Amino acid sequence: MTTADHRFSSRVRWLVRLGYWSALLGGLTLPWILMLGFDHFVRNVPWRLAWRSFYLHLFAPGYNFFLIGLLNVVSFVLLAIIILFHLGKAPLSDPPKVRQRAWALATAGLTMIGVSAWTHVSVLIHPDAQGGLVYFFLPVTLFICLSAGYAAGWLAAKWLRHGAHRHET
Amino acid sequence: MNPSTPSPGPLSSREIGFHLLGLALFIALLALWFWFSTGARAVPRLIALLKEADASSRIIAAEQLGHIGSPAVAASPALIEQATNDPSQHANTTAAAALKSIDLLAARQVIDHYLPLLKDRNAQLRRTACAVLGSLGPVAKPAVPALVDLAKDPDELVRRNALTALAGIGLPSAIVTEALIAGLHDSESFVRHAAVAQFAFGYPLAPEADAALRALASDPDGTIAALAKTALERHIRNGPSEVQALTMLVREPMRRDYALFQLARLGPAAGAAMPAILGILHDERPLHRYLAAEALAAIGLGGTEVLSALQQARNDPDPIVEQSVEEAISLLSERGRKAPP
Repeated sequence: MTTADHRFSSRVRWLVRLGYWSALLGGLTLPWILMLGFDHFVRNVPWRLAWRSFYLHLFAPGYNFFLIGLLNVVSFVLLAIIILFHLGKAPLSDPPKVRQRAWALATAGLTMIGVSAWTHVSVLIHPDAQGGLVYFFLPVTLFICLSAGYAAGWLAAKWLRHGAHRHET
Repeated sequence: MNPSTPSPGPLSSREIGFHLLGLALFIALLALWFWFSTGARAVPRLIALLKEADASSRIIAAEQLGHIGSPAVAASPALIEQATNDPSQHANTTAAAALKSIDLLAARQVIDHYLPLLKDRNAQLRRTACAVLGSLGPVAKPAVPALVDLAKDPDELVRRNALTALAGIGLPSAIVTEALIAGLHDSESFVRHAAVAQFAFGYPLAPEADAALRALASDPDGTIAALAKTALERHIRNGPSEVQALTMLVREPMRRDYALFQLARLGPAAGAAMPAILGILHDERPLHRYLAAEALAAIGLGGTEVLSALQQARNDPDPIVEQSVEEAISLLSERGRKAPP
């Protein structure tokens, strides 16, 4: 293995580990971070009080922030497993293929983060009892985002690859 | 592996296995966190929260304790203290509401504390007493006569709170319904609003209320008129299917108290739900057993099967349920004697 190959392999390994654990921890904590941020920046609640209120409502009936975190993380667990196997077992002998997979997974993850953040912020801006129902549809919505994001990223990477190839020739 | 041969992938199977193990640990940690923070395990932490200086902590702790139910019985003394002596009315009402699900005897202690306050000269104390008694729901049935009197109080906020409390207690439904119908004619718009809102959102619509609600549908206050229309439409929409739906809900433990309460408030119209209610007389939660006995008494159809089920439930470990069963037996037996052969 050349030094360049070794560096490429290390980078991909690092990317897989980062993507895997970011998907798991980020998926769980994203709604909680948004809730705390919304309390502090929009409602002008000091950090200490925002944290206290958040902690009190984690398991409170009717709020159950813990459950919201769980409903959010379900699709991110799936993303993490896909990252682990799809990128973790990508053929290092074919770097363009590895890059294409990485782009596809990154696009899927970013789409999921975007849609998830938008959903949580919408519920925080318009709080009502029916609004909470959106959390039960969130895993399915994020699963669709995963598939659509992956397809979009894969196609974009392929198009860029062909574009670069045409430019070279 | 020879360092010169390229690896088939960036991660070895062993490393993937470790990551999957990490995921399993992550899930296990979340499960443990949930387990320690809910149910009876959370009671000591929640009791500590009841002693916090911050009112919102006390309110949320009381709500969670109520959700836990009977296993949170160790919190009863602290909840009684909060229900009776906390300076925040919201903290009083949430503690009282929790007690009805945890300990019926403790709930009755709260009633005993607030009953004299219904006649206090201080209007604010009368308002708080109404709110707390209403939050106790049907367990506060002994407070109904005093609350009916308060529905004619000179203070309009007391009248409003009394009507809301009566709707929350709901039993005996004939007396409560009469008071709510009288509230529909109140001179103060927000008292009428409180009364009509009960019929619009949950309180069973008695035929006697129909005329008053039709009149309110053209109330100068647009919100009241809209609520009156909602109440009338709800009645048409629900019809007899309401009993059927509530009977199904009785079988769901999470919605059982609501379903039993609604059936009790429907009275004789809920006769078809009796077989489902009989099974609840031996439920593990005292509140459910209490509501089952109250519902059977309210429905008032004392067949042999009903009386025999009530006789079997006579020696209930909870004295409040026992008293309710005794009352139901004597009421149904008396009706049986009076009924034509």
